Amino acid sequence: MNAVSSAPILKIANVVAGYTAGHPVLRGVNLIAQPGHITGVLGPNGAGKSTLLRAIAGFLQPSSGRIVLGDEDIAALPPHRHMERRIALLPQGRSTFPELTVAENIELGGWTMRGDRARLRQAVEAMFARYPHLRALRDRPAGSLSGGQQRAVEIARLVIGDPKVLLIDEPSVGLSPIVAAQVYRELEALKAEGRTILLVDQDVRAAIKIADYAYVLSSGRNDIEGDRSAFEGDLGVMVRRWLGV
Amino acid sequence: MLDRLAFIITDGILLGLIYAIAGLGLSLVLGIMGIVNVAHSAFIMLGSFFAFELFRRLGLDPIISFFLAMPVFFLLGTIVYRALLTRIERVSQSQGLVAMFGLMVLIENLSTIAWTTDTRVITAAYTNASLVLGSLYIAQVKLIAGALALVLTLLFWAFLRFTLIGRAIRAMGQNRDAALSVGIDVRRLSAVVFGLGIACAGAAGVALAMVFPFSPNTQIQWLAWAFLVVILGGLGSVANTLIAGLIIGLLQSLSTAFLPFDYVYLVLYVLLAVILVLRREGLTLVVKRAI
Ligand SMILES: Nc1ncnc2c1ncn2[C@@H]1O[C@H](COP(=O)(O)OP(=O)(O)OP(=O)(O)O)[C@@H](O)[C@H]1O
Ligand SMILES: [Mg+2]
Repeated sequence: MNAVSSAPILKIANVVAGYTAGHPVLRGVNLIAQPGHITGVLGPNGAGKSTLLRAIAGFLQPSSGRIVLGDEDIAALPPHRHMERRIALLPQGRSTFPELTVAENIELGGWTMRGDRARLRQAVEAMFARYPHLRALRDRPAGSLSGGQQRAVEIARLVIGDPKVLLIDEPSVGLSPIVAAQVYRELEALKAEGRTILLVDQDVRAAIKIADYAYVLSSGRNDIEGDRSAFEGDLGVMVRRWLGV
Repeated sequence: MLDRLAFIITDGILLGLIYAIAGLGLSLVLGIMGIVNVAHSAFIMLGSFFAFELFRRLGLDPIISFFLAMPVFFLLGTIVYRALLTRIERVSQSQGLVAMFGLMVLIENLSTIAWTTDTRVITAAYTNASLVLGSLYIAQVKLIAGALALVLTLLFWAFLRFTLIGRAIRAMGQNRDAALSVGIDVRRLSAVVFGLGIACAGAAGVALAMVFPFSPNTQIQWLAWAFLVVILGGLGSVANTLIAGLIIGLLQSLSTAFLPFDYVYLVLYVLLAVILVLRREGLTLVVKRAI
């Protein structure tokens, strides 16, 4: 995989969004994901972290506010148009196509390349080269794999489309510590390739270890924010106490 | 005795293949899109009249009509989807059901105006011919209709399994949000799925018209058969739908041969009740999903 040339900046400004009219979950969120950085989004259960990622990915229309990728406002962009702009979501929980094989799952990740089958086939092979442990599993239905293996399939399905901005929701939930560590290493590798990552995580310690900057949401609003050193110092103690970690 | 059994089994298999394609489109649309298309059999009936008109007016062989019906009914299905279903999609399941029911009533009434309620048959050159294998007589039309049904089933199976768009269709049924995330335009693909379902109904109607008499107001009977296949075969699996069709065809021919006529439908509906009680997913338990 080539290094990504100039990932765009992602800016969230005063975003209000929710599932039922009149009851917004996000009540004016502001945030910037710097190109080539990992930006953490922390906060207690129900703070609206997943809702924020779903709004950025187009599954939820903000009732007001702006979601700007580079110089385009994508707040009204439908979800299936995000991949072609190289912005991709890894949602919370399982998201494989369980009855399709590993290879078919990864291939569909390259759906935007479908006009050029040779290139798509090559891209699939490149994913098996990048994640060699998936190769032996290529013809297995994704639903029959372990949680960690499925996560790897999901990541490969994401990376094949060469996204410049990755929206990652709780990547290590339910995984063994060893597999979770692999996932975080992969996120760092993706960052090293110049990609922008917005990382939502319950595991504050793990997130802060790899995040360049972090925001804390509470009840759909910005709470505190700061760079890694701030969270490693006093702010960290505060956040941990506040989150009950 | 052995001859008779061979005849009954052959007949059951051929009928079963036809039943399978009657249920195939219904299963696809329900399994992938979650739409209970109660107008399915109305499109089957339109398929029968499509073949009837082409035969009556142009003398076109129903075998040719079978293949013509696929693109024609595909187009019809995408138009119906765009006109009727995009508006109610996601609003509520019951609204979709009501809309499809309305469409069924509309098609049946318009068809009655166009073709009256008279029972029709298509009498092709081979309609009354039989194939003789030793002491076994097989009606040629059934053989042809069964073969066409098998071809259609295999085409569907291969399409869903081996083409990228077929896999995208299955992906959409398995995880709609993830399908959107990889960039699949689920709305557009839904029109394709619905079109395929109706194409299947139209082609099934042609095959049915080769073997059975038909009229606008007997279409509802086929809805019961199609649902029987879907309930037995589970959703969205071509292989299971085929097996379900074969089981029903065999049960029908066996019970027709050995039971008084009145009991034939009883057997099938008891079977239906038993399956519904035992297992919602039907055969899927026995035959692993094998699209
Ligand atoms: N699909 C939905 N429909 C209605 N309300 C929802 C939906 N999803 C989430 N909510 C509500 O929105 C609020 C924020 O949920 P969200 O999932 O964004 O929180 P979160 O910060 O990701 O929490 P967690 O850490 O538990 O994942 C919650 O009050 C939740 O009940
Ligand atoms: Mg969440």
